[in-house]
Amino acid sequence: MSVQSSSQRRVARLAWAVSPRLWSPARLADAVALGIWAGLFWYLLPAERSALYLSSRTSWVVPLGAVLLTLGAIGRLAGARSPAPEPLSRRHALGIGVIIVPVIAVLALPPSALGSYAAARRSSFVGSGYIASPDDVASGELSLADIAGALQSQKGAQALARRAGSRVSLVGFVTKESGMPADEFVLTRFLVSCCVADALSVQVRVVGAPPGNLKTDQWVRVEGALYPLENEALVDAAEVVHVDRPVRPYLNP
Amino acid sequence: MAHTAPASVRTGSLGNALPVAAGLLALGAALRLFEPTRITGVQNFLLVFSSLLIEAVPFILLGAVVSALIEVFVPPRVFERLARLPGPLQLPAAGFAGLAFPVCECGSVPVARRLAAKGLAPSAAVTFMLAAPVLNPIVIASTAVAYRGRGAMWTMVLGRAGLGLLAAMAVGWVVGGRSAGDLLRSRGVEADDHDHDGESRGAAFFGHLAGDFFFMGRYLVLGATVAAALQTFVPQSIMGSVAGTPFVDLIALMGLAFLLSLCSESDAFVAASFVQFGIGPQLAFLVFGPMVDTKLAFLYSGTFTKGFFRTVVLVVGAVTLAGTLWVEVVAG
Repeated sequence: MSVQSSSQRRVARLAWAVSPRLWSPARLADAVALGIWAGLFWYLLPAERSALYLSSRTSWVVPLGAVLLTLGAIGRLAGARSPAPEPLSRRHALGIGVIIVPVIAVLALPPSALGSYAAARRSSFVGSGYIASPDDVASGELSLADIAGALQSQKGAQALARRAGSRVSLVGFVTKESGMPADEFVLTRFLVSCCVADALSVQVRVVGAPPGNLKTDQWVRVEGALYPLENEALVDAAEVVHVDRPVRPYLNP
Repeated sequence: MAHTAPASVRTGSLGNALPVAAGLLALGAALRLFEPTRITGVQNFLLVFSSLLIEAVPFILLGAVVSALIEVFVPPRVFERLARLPGPLQLPAAGFAGLAFPVCECGSVPVARRLAAKGLAPSAAVTFMLAAPVLNPIVIASTAVAYRGRGAMWTMVLGRAGLGLLAAMAVGWVVGGRSAGDLLRSRGVEADDHDHDGESRGAAFFGHLAGDFFFMGRYLVLGATVAAALQTFVPQSIMGSVAGTPFVDLIALMGLAFLLSLCSESDAFVAASFVQFGIGPQLAFLVFGPMVDTKLAFLYSGTFTKGFFRTVVLVVGAVTLAGTLWVEVVAG
């Protein structure tokens, strides 16, 4: 195009402008596929949906994606009528189909969150990045991330040791290790910093739980007294109640 | 140039969408009916797969927007001028340009492809592509946050940025004088990358945008499938056995970075969790991962000619190994 003179280009543009326009199947297919992806991002806009896939720190990509994809679809549709419409080749159709597969997977399946299967296979969380100082641990309510984070540094562990016997209320799901007695389980929650692919597990051991009815993957709230050991934390349960999966099933830094 | 199809072909070609649409509907119905999420491994796979894509698609699209803007609105003389920069300056300049481009690895591939196609030296385009995901400000900040409160914070932040820049420039240097035609894979007609004389700039912009998005998206879906399968079925604890074995532990964490395919904006949090490994292997994970991983293997193989991926693996691998060994000696 750059070798053409400007007058040649003007003629071409004029010819283009006056020739009859037809819908181009290839461009229509592009616009439909962009629209479908845009639809997925609009669907994910409420926090209770995006929280199953993304951290609260990265959830801004959802509105960004929704707007960009919508603009892309509208733009492609607006230019879809052309004097030289491109046919939709089989390869092009197949390529677009591949891209829509994830949308179908998200929409067709019931919403779910990582559970015990992942807990057995993923690394566990090391919290130094999130715990600014042992002061956070020294007073106030202790969260699952506080406890796991504090155990990673000597100062944190000491600060936590001073809280021995404090009452805690923690929410997570049940995982079991082989050989655990009936009144013990591991309370697990995942910490997600960007998307679910980087999930790290956060765990405390619960003892003295009322036996029975504690199936793996059941979400529970455990209330009881916290006893930090050398490199793990133990909760002597006073009460274990079933709860629904939280709206945000993952902890976010 | 425009190519006009006979009317019968045009209307008939929409029929090619039918089997694809039918297949997608059947997939949706099958997922609804059989609820494979009851099998926990499958549920885990689908969650990781969807979340990788939900996070990466907006970035791919941003990359496509920048790439289409470059194609349609930046006049060619800008690239001619850039190409006249003195040779020794081009690679560092391209590397540092990554500092100003806060998009992770998925977004930088289409931009680099476009830059090379528009006449920027391919070595400079490749250096930019590899440096941007390591050097961009968001990545530097998240690395600092992940290692905050540990003695190694500055070693990690500076080591990552320094070795990343070095590795990116090394690949650029090895690519050297190869021409764009030599380095870029041709995309075939279906990519809609041809210009129509006289078409409005807006229509051309959206044409290139869609072309890039679908082109990259395909490879991203394939890469995310493999990465999610590896994440689901390979337990991360198998790495523990080599922790503390010098050199082997570096290779092990580089291999893990390849398998996991994390976004460079979050991988520091995962790297920081490998406490049983020293700072050397953790740094190797952070330098190697953003340039070489499963999803990038697919993106590169679709964008560049054969052999390019091998070059990147060898050169980035060698620089990462040598650099992290040196850091271990100096800082350890």
